[in-house]
Amino acid sequence: MTARWFRRFADQAIPIALFTAIWQALPTVELIDPSVLPSPVRVARALWDLAQTPSFYVDLGMTLWRGLAGLFFGAAIGIPLGILMATCPRAHGFFDPLVKVTYSLPKTALVPLFILWFGIGSTTSIVAVAMSTMLPLIVYTYHGVHDTPNILIWSAQAMGTGQRGLIWKVSLRSAQHGILTGLRIGLGFAFLIAIAAEMIAAKVGIGKLLFMYGETGAYDYMFAAVLAVVIAAYAADQALLSITNHCLRWQPSAGQH
Amino acid sequence: MAVASHLRRIREVLIATYPLLLVAAVWEAATQGGLVRPIFLPPLSSVIASFPDLVRSGEIVEPLLVSMYRAAAGLAIAMIAGVSLGFMMARIRWIKWLFEPLIALSFPSPKVAFLPIFILWFGIDHLSKIALVVSTCIFPFIIAAEAGARTVPRVQLWAADMMGTSRMTTLWKIILPASLPSLMSGMRIAVPFALVSTFTAEMIAGGGGLGGGLVYAQRFFETITVFALLLVMIVIGYLIDLLVLGLRHRVLRWHQA
Repeated sequence: MTARWFRRFADQAIPIALFTAIWQALPTVELIDPSVLPSPVRVARALWDLAQTPSFYVDLGMTLWRGLAGLFFGAAIGIPLGILMATCPRAHGFFDPLVKVTYSLPKTALVPLFILWFGIGSTTSIVAVAMSTMLPLIVYTYHGVHDTPNILIWSAQAMGTGQRGLIWKVSLRSAQHGILTGLRIGLGFAFLIAIAAEMIAAKVGIGKLLFMYGETGAYDYMFAAVLAVVIAAYAADQALLSITNHCLRWQPSAGQH
Repeated sequence: MAVASHLRRIREVLIATYPLLLVAAVWEAATQGGLVRPIFLPPLSSVIASFPDLVRSGEIVEPLLVSMYRAAAGLAIAMIAGVSLGFMMARIRWIKWLFEPLIALSFPSPKVAFLPIFILWFGIDHLSKIALVVSTCIFPFIIAAEAGARTVPRVQLWAADMMGTSRMTTLWKIILPASLPSLMSGMRIAVPFALVSTFTAEMIAGGGGLGGGLVYAQRFFETITVFALLLVMIVIGYLIDLLVLGLRHRVLRWHQA
């Protein structure tokens, strides 16, 4: 058990260590100018420094809050709308063209418009994140509920399940996998849109901080902040993945990915 | 007979588009009725009426071409690099071992966070935007190529080996055609990513293009231009998606769905 765990860990860690070694070598032997590619040692030192700076947590926390709050609203609108579209053909007829048209719109392009409407700040970011996370949730919820096997519905009806019970106990359970996939895609969008909105215009947030370090030439810190974003996004994705596997442990396909 | 089929066709189109027409009508009525200030939401009719002037003053066609160039260049590089890496990961074990952890770590990260680094390395003109597009679009291509190459039946590879086919020919004549369905799916994911990344990079870093124009118009409160550019982005995104679907249909004509 432990040996297998160690082997898995080594398979992940050794390639990453190799790439880090190459990254360390490039600026050290001055193949690349160290001022444009700070070595991992310097970046790690900057990251350690950031980890002890309270204002860094304010920026990082603000970005996470905007992303997660937006994702929450996106899910709160998108999941019920997806269920409605799957259960009511008329609602599908109305919302489907609107979803299709807005799907091809780059959601970050709405940020300037939201700045006009809501000013610079969290509202703009949260609305932009909600708008962009809503769409995958609508689509995946719709397909999940819509693709519920007829046999399950017929069996439930034969056993006397009512309309409401059908949605809660059968369709939604069957759609769980789709909804969680939509949520995972939405999570990716959430951080992307939150950071992009902060880069376009913001007073606080990690997106703002990245550009501030870039403009003042504090490149060690800029790389360290990017690394912090990569780690935070990876951790959030892994957390959602383990929640997904936990929720779906009753399904035969669980435990994959 | 012909009249009846025409009528049916008109009915179908109306059913498919009435929500859009309804939204447009409500939008127009609310703005004409003075419910919202035109600086926040201009009437749809004045947005449409502004197109000839915007086209004449070079605020639409030229920026559109600039954005398309950046998106297409980034997409092409991502395709070549991503597909090669994906094929190698499917065929060569140590390459998969080496790259898999790196891809797992960077796949969920919001790529826009890397934009300050790309600006530092490549400046604020085309190259930094193309780099952002590459960093976003390479992942769907890697995943699609690897998944596609894995679908090749072993027997076909053995048969090719036995008949003395070289590795390069095996790649071109067997692995690539067999992976095409998967690659086209990856393409359909990557193309909208390319557009969004281009527009976002332009909005953040300036340097022209539709995204640059959008932020510029917002700063001067030219709301009509903001909406006109948003409409252009929606239409372009939709048309390009149709183009990719058409391409997929052509490329996969021989393939059983």
